[in-house]
Amino acid sequence: MIRRAIQLLDERTGIKALAAHLLDEPITGGARWAYVFGSALLGSFMVQAVTGVALMTSYAPSEKTAWASVHFIQFQQAGGWLVRGLHHFGAQAMVILLGAHLAQVALFGAYKKPREVTWWLGLGLLAVTLGFALTGYLLPWDQKGYWASRVATNIAGTVPLVGEATQRLLQGGPEYGSLTLTRFYTLHVAVLPALLVGLVAAHVALFRRHGVTPPPKADPSRVDAFFPKQLFKDVVAVGAVVAVVFVLSICEHGAPLDAPADPSSDYPARPEWYFLALFQLLKYFHGPLEIVGTVVLPAVVGVYFFALPLLDVRDGTALRGRVKPLLPLLVVGAGAVGLTVKARADDARDATFQQERAKADVRAEVAARLAMDGVPPEGPLAMLARSPELRGPELFDRHCAACHTLGGHGSEEERTAPALDGWSTEAWILQMLHDPDGDTRFGRTPYKGEMPSMDVKPADADDTWSPMSADDMKAAAAFLALEGDAPGVAPPAGSLRADAARVERGREIVKSRCTSCHLFEGSGDDGGQGLAPELSGYGSHAWVRTQIANPASKETYREGAVDPEGEAAPAPGVGRRMPRFDGELSPAEIDLLATWVLGEARR
Amino acid sequence: MSTEPKSEPPPPSSSRAAEPSPATSRRALTLATVAGACALAVAAGGPPLALALAPLRATKRSGRWVRTVKLTELEEGVPRRVAVVDDRKDAWTIERGVELGSVWLVRRGDAVLALSSVCPHLGCSVNAVAAPDAKVGGGFACPCHTSAFDAAGRRTSGPSPRDLDALETKIEDGHVAVDFRRFRIGVEEKVET
Repeated sequence: MIRRAIQLLDERTGIKALAAHLLDEPITGGARWAYVFGSALLGSFMVQAVTGVALMTSYAPSEKTAWASVHFIQFQQAGGWLVRGLHHFGAQAMVILLGAHLAQVALFGAYKKPREVTWWLGLGLLAVTLGFALTGYLLPWDQKGYWASRVATNIAGTVPLVGEATQRLLQGGPEYGSLTLTRFYTLHVAVLPALLVGLVAAHVALFRRHGVTPPPKADPSRVDAFFPKQLFKDVVAVGAVVAVVFVLSICEHGAPLDAPADPSSDYPARPEWYFLALFQLLKYFHGPLEIVGTVVLPAVVGVYFFALPLLDVRDGTALRGRVKPLLPLLVVGAGAVGLTVKARADDARDATFQQERAKADVRAEVAARLAMDGVPPEGPLAMLARSPELRGPELFDRHCAACHTLGGHGSEEERTAPALDGWSTEAWILQMLHDPDGDTRFGRTPYKGEMPSMDVKPADADDTWSPMSADDMKAAAAFLALEGDAPGVAPPAGSLRADAARVERGREIVKSRCTSCHLFEGSGDDGGQGLAPELSGYGSHAWVRTQIANPASKETYREGAVDPEGEAAPAPGVGRRMPRFDGELSPAEIDLLATWVLGEARR
Repeated sequence: MSTEPKSEPPPPSSSRAAEPSPATSRRALTLATVAGACALAVAAGGPPLALALAPLRATKRSGRWVRTVKLTELEEGVPRRVAVVDDRKDAWTIERGVELGSVWLVRRGDAVLALSSVCPHLGCSVNAVAAPDAKVGGGFACPCHTSAFDAAGRRTSGPSPRDLDALETKIEDGHVAVDFRRFRIGVEEKVET
């Protein structure tokens, strides 16, 4: 039945003759493992093509969507991580196989007459494959790809005469932007594949025309057919490569995704490992010699590869007779390995690099986590800018840490304002009631001495003074801590404020005993003259926001609380009053700073 | 059709009676075919090529004054990286108030030195390095290819072909305004892109 169908098809297409032509290729000197690299490359390319098309179904090349869509593929779509991993590690496998194929061809002398054109087409394929690697690196539009690609396009820009135009054409303009992505994408999925298919067709056709180049000691009378002897070895090789790529993808759970590209950030850019030798080379050519590292040396190597079949014209493929023309290849190979090792060693020793790398990894991890809820249409950078987790510490370091400390930010020695760890928690309020002038509270501030302890008799107190009972203090703390809770959030079980009766008692205590100095819901007994802050909503997000924007608004502290600009610092070791930040920080920044401070204080 | 007997003479290339010699006709036809194909290629390939080359003509935007932080926020002599926030038109998108890049600001009394954070070597973003003894007076270093600069942005070591690019500054209502520009990378002269 099947035989009959094939027969019918063959009568109309000549398929049998074609199959015979493809499979019965004579392998002079016999099938060899050394010949598998070309086929392995072709097999790997097919994996790249299939995984690449699959990735295209979910990828959206624009500044605002590229990172988000890759994140979606990597973390949310079924099997997305695996496809991405196969594509990522498959690309690296191709680079390694290219090296192996080139080395094998060079060692066997397979570039020699009459195979020069095959060799040159192979060099073209090498260039196209590296082009795939360079363009693919940018597509996720993450920090790694963005900064490495900027270096690559800037290198293109250093080429004399045509450099600037080339760079503009690659970037789609004078600067990086969405057009850079659409252009790299076009190269990666249309232009380079078309070139590669054309070059492969010509390369393979010429290879079929001239056949393999057996080593000199091979027996020329032994001839294997491509099928099955060589094809079997080829399939084993492709299988091994794909297996390694699968294992790597699974072990690494796909491919890495760095934080979204951020043009205003600092980032220790490094290329993919197979470009590290070129990267390292750039460090050695200073000033006007820069172009030697960026253009001249790589071009010299390219010219050497091109000229190799013209340099090596003696008869025979015995290695002994070809040492001279192959010597530069050895130098290039050894140099590449040496430079790569040096680049790695330099980075391993460089503490600053390690720190920056660690910082970048944290950002990548946070970005990946935040994006699980979806990325807004303004893009992933807007998402990060709105994240208290990322922006909070930055804003705190810049605006608060000169006086306050919180969660490891700010210096304990230089602190002149309260330590904010635990601020407005029940335990903190109890301590405040007991010892307001403690070192971590008002001890180093101009408020020192303003608030009396509730249970320690002050030196100047008369006989009517009585301490607040421990129960009353707990009730007040319970009430005040509840004021700070977000609306609708139930107090944690076992906390003081979980007891509604105690909170109610605390409310009465605060309203009767504290308002002689403090404001409560806008009023107090002192006619608004004192310094003590508003206690309603104390520790709530709104209270903290108001305090950061303007400490003298009466909704937190009062007129005398704000630090007048330009006022001389008070006595050494005593802090200034708090400045207002509503001029320096936007409402959105104040909002997320408050969110972070509260979260961190109550951690 | 393929079963037609092959013995028939090939059909004449033209049925006109008064035709020139076959050789001339063949050459003319070849020329016409090649010319036609070339014209077709130009017609079909020209507009796409023009589109692909459009970025060569894209107008460059030169400097713009962008207001950054308050002068009082800068500590004397301590470099601070400041984001340059302004509107940005990128291809088909217009965005209001986004970070275009960053500059290093160093306060010198009432004046401010602004340095582009783009390394003139190959465009990585340079970092400030603290001097070994104090935090004031350190220089800048590129995390990519080891270019190093002193506190004034002058090249001290590494591959960079020129000093860090200084940008003009002025003080507006107590804020530091910077004339934000970009320069060509990897060349000795400081020329705008």
